[in-house]
Amino acid sequence: MTLPHAAFRIYDRRSLLKFVLPVAIIAGWELLAIWINNPFILPRLEAVAAVLLAPTADILGNGSLAANAATSLERVLAGFFVAAAIAIPLGIGMGRSGTLHELFDTLMQLLRPIPPLAWVPLALAWFKIGLLSMVFIIGMGAFFPILLNTLDGVKGVKRNWIETAEILGAKEHQILSRVILPGALPTIWTGLRVGFGIAWMCVVAAEMMPGTNSGLGYLIISAYNWGQVPVIIAGMIVIGIIGIGFDILFKAVERRSFGWRGLER
Amino acid sequence: MSGMKRTGIIAITFFALVLLLVATGCTQQSGTSASTPAATTTPATGANTVGILYTAGVGPMPQLLATQQIDGYIAWQPYVSIATKSGIGKLVVYSGQLPPDESNVNHPCCILFARDDLIAENPDLVTAISALTQVSSAYINAHPAEAADLEADFLVGRSNFTFGNVSVSSVDVLNDAFPTVRYTNDPSPQWVNDTKRFVNTEIQLGYVNNQLKNASSDQLDSLLFDFGPYQNAKQELAAGTITTPHTEANPITIGYLTGDMHSAALSIALKKYQYFNDTYGVALVPRDPTQARPDTADLVVNGVKVAEVKLVSGSAGPQVMQMAATNVVQIGYVGVPPTIAAIDKGTPVKVINPINTEGSGLVVSPDAPVTDWNSFVAWAQQRAAEGKPLKIAAPGKGSIQDVLIQFALKSSNVSFATISS
Amino acid sequence: MTLSVEHLTKEYAKNGQERVQALVNISLAIRDEEFVCVLGPSGCGKTTLLRVIAGLERPTSGRVQIDGTVIEGPNQKLGMIFQDYSLYPWRTVNENIAFGLELNDVPREKRAKIVKKYLDLAELSGFGNSYPHELSGGMRQRVAVVRALAVEPSVLLMDEPFGALDAQTRNMLQHELLDIWQKTKKTILFVTHSVDEAVYLADRVVVLTPRPGHICEVIPIDQPRPRDRTSVEFARVRRHVLDLISQKCSLP
Repeated sequence: MTLPHAAFRIYDRRSLLKFVLPVAIIAGWELLAIWINNPFILPRLEAVAAVLLAPTADILGNGSLAANAATSLERVLAGFFVAAAIAIPLGIGMGRSGTLHELFDTLMQLLRPIPPLAWVPLALAWFKIGLLSMVFIIGMGAFFPILLNTLDGVKGVKRNWIETAEILGAKEHQILSRVILPGALPTIWTGLRVGFGIAWMCVVAAEMMPGTNSGLGYLIISAYNWGQVPVIIAGMIVIGIIGIGFDILFKAVERRSFGWRGLER
Repeated sequence: MSGMKRTGIIAITFFALVLLLVATGCTQQSGTSASTPAATTTPATGANTVGILYTAGVGPMPQLLATQQIDGYIAWQPYVSIATKSGIGKLVVYSGQLPPDESNVNHPCCILFARDDLIAENPDLVTAISALTQVSSAYINAHPAEAADLEADFLVGRSNFTFGNVSVSSVDVLNDAFPTVRYTNDPSPQWVNDTKRFVNTEIQLGYVNNQLKNASSDQLDSLLFDFGPYQNAKQELAAGTITTPHTEANPITIGYLTGDMHSAALSIALKKYQYFNDTYGVALVPRDPTQARPDTADLVVNGVKVAEVKLVSGSAGPQVMQMAATNVVQIGYVGVPPTIAAIDKGTPVKVINPINTEGSGLVVSPDAPVTDWNSFVAWAQQRAAEGKPLKIAAPGKGSIQDVLIQFALKSSNVSFATISS
Repeated sequence: MTLSVEHLTKEYAKNGQERVQALVNISLAIRDEEFVCVLGPSGCGKTTLLRVIAGLERPTSGRVQIDGTVIEGPNQKLGMIFQDYSLYPWRTVNENIAFGLELNDVPREKRAKIVKKYLDLAELSGFGNSYPHELSGGMRQRVAVVRALAVEPSVLLMDEPFGALDAQTRNMLQHELLDIWQKTKKTILFVTHSVDEAVYLADRVVVLTPRPGHICEVIPIDQPRPRDRTSVEFARVRRHVLDLISQKCSLP
């Protein structure tokens, strides 16, 4: 088999489609940038690439791209885990207990529509500057998708599964750990994936507000302050890459562990 | 059936309320009527010669000017030098020379403030900060080139500003900017009066309408200023020893403005901590000296670590004052007008001493037919006649630059309106 | 093992207003090692009857006793197989079978032995590590049965377990079920709406009327097994039951 043949076999035609738009955008960008010739409107590809290819170089005295990305990641993971640690048990509790559900439902419905960033002034006032206020804001963003999906997942656990366990002698805590949790897990996982995405958006936006000195959002604002547009774009690209990276991770786990979802009778 | 009926009634009531809210909102005057200048606002765009656009902070200004979205901007240094050194803009006039004639020479600009509760609880700490500010300002005045270099490091890690094909060294920019800023800490009677005049200006502009509005001159003195720590610091410096403040258990946070070299006293203090520690016994020692812009430091007085200090920046004065109001920030380096506005609203802070006067400027596009203020006025009128009124950016409602440009325009009989985006 | 249903009545509240009677005054004595089929049209309450006996629902009046103890909740002496098998899709076949044993803290080696025994009984050796979604309907049914059997209940309650299968698989599984029944000597209470199935499987057929369900008739079937569907005797019994359903037992 000749090489081109082999290549075509390996790469399914359709999966190549995924790359068409990004490549087209990059090519179009460079052409457009040359034509517009105003780096404030659209900087050249090389300018942005220069920033991306030097991830450990200091930018405007703010530290390097890599270091700021790490800081943002730290914050999002902290907020995310705190949100999950509260939302998952609460969701399971609300799903299993009508009383608990009635108790919390109104409060949740009231808080849910509030955009996480609206909490910034309060968070700063209560927790001052530091990781804690960030965790609060990010946590607020990730909390509701996780909670609602957990609730959904728990409610979606088939009654027969639970009853089978009861008949086989399960006590309530066993039902929770061996039936509810695994049964709801695919939906909970979706909630975690969505929640993470929102948390990631929140952290960057929260870093653009007064009170932070580091992180990708702050880097972007700093670059904005000094008119360094290539840095802004490079920052945006990094944000996108990290976001998509985590999404891929989540989906990979989904494929591996929850292949049974939807296939059960 | 009755269940559905009940739901229906609740739904209808809810939507009726929403409609009511929308209707009342639409019939009211849009925007905040109290905060637009009473004298010269006319809604019709055509009737105004100049439009003032507020950007949150000065960051976007060079970009906006370079992409012709604004015709000029008034900003604090080093943004004037950035424009002139990179060729994005050209200088019209520095803020000290803005009309009304002579009244803006040595105009108040930025100050050091502290929260009332901190002054009461640890007056020696505030004194120490004032002392450090004073010696740092003196150092700047004595070593401008070194100060320019260190400030370039603090602001942007000494990197170049690249605007497309133009690249300017930040050190060059700062060297150009430093002579245009007067670093002075003396709350002279003239300065105090000029500051109190700002209060009147702000009342006229509608930015002040609470407790400062009807205050007498003497009342203003006690509402705005507490020069005690400044005087103490001066005496202690003259005597050669700073009193060691008692230790703070919790960190103190100092707020300053992003990209504003008016607070150079703070940056130089952080950079030359060893010198100030050895020479005066008071220093802000960064926890990580390799950071270009430290975010955590220790206030060390006479060898004693008195407090952990966090340093945080806001993009404009009002944001720093908001943090002061919520006790996120206890000490700050900001402009006079935002401080006045905040005190007016009840933020419990006092002005400790000035940190600079003058130090801002108006720039316009490089091809504008402008060389000074008068030609700027002529240009503004010409453009208005063509139906394309000028757009000038200012860093924020109530900022020094906003107040200065409004009064300058007024005194030249140029009508203007603020543009809301 | 003795299982007795005594004057069982079950009512439901519907929309908080009306009360719907599902079962009325059901009395039944099930003998040890007996295979009993409960037969009736849809909605006659036969599933409800099974659920009450399983302890998943409480009777409105009357009671169910097993070995002298009143049933007040799920009881491990009574195993149940649902219509949709309810296998846990995230567990392998082995892990499904082991489920009840895990719940009862059976140590690992013993568990493995028991699982293997029942895996072989279900003739699924080699599929231990497969997942339910990889198995055919018939295979899943067998897993459901041995999962219930693994905790050694005295009685197996089965709710139309073969309803969703094609005729061929159904017949095969009926045959296998009888095989397992004879090997394990359990008592089986089997709910169905298929006359053919009831006659093929049962020692006794309990015919319920439409809702509110009460016992219309109990028909003993003495034929030796395996029963021949094509035989005259089979057809006779089937005709008799069919007649009952369409006439005497057709009204509530």
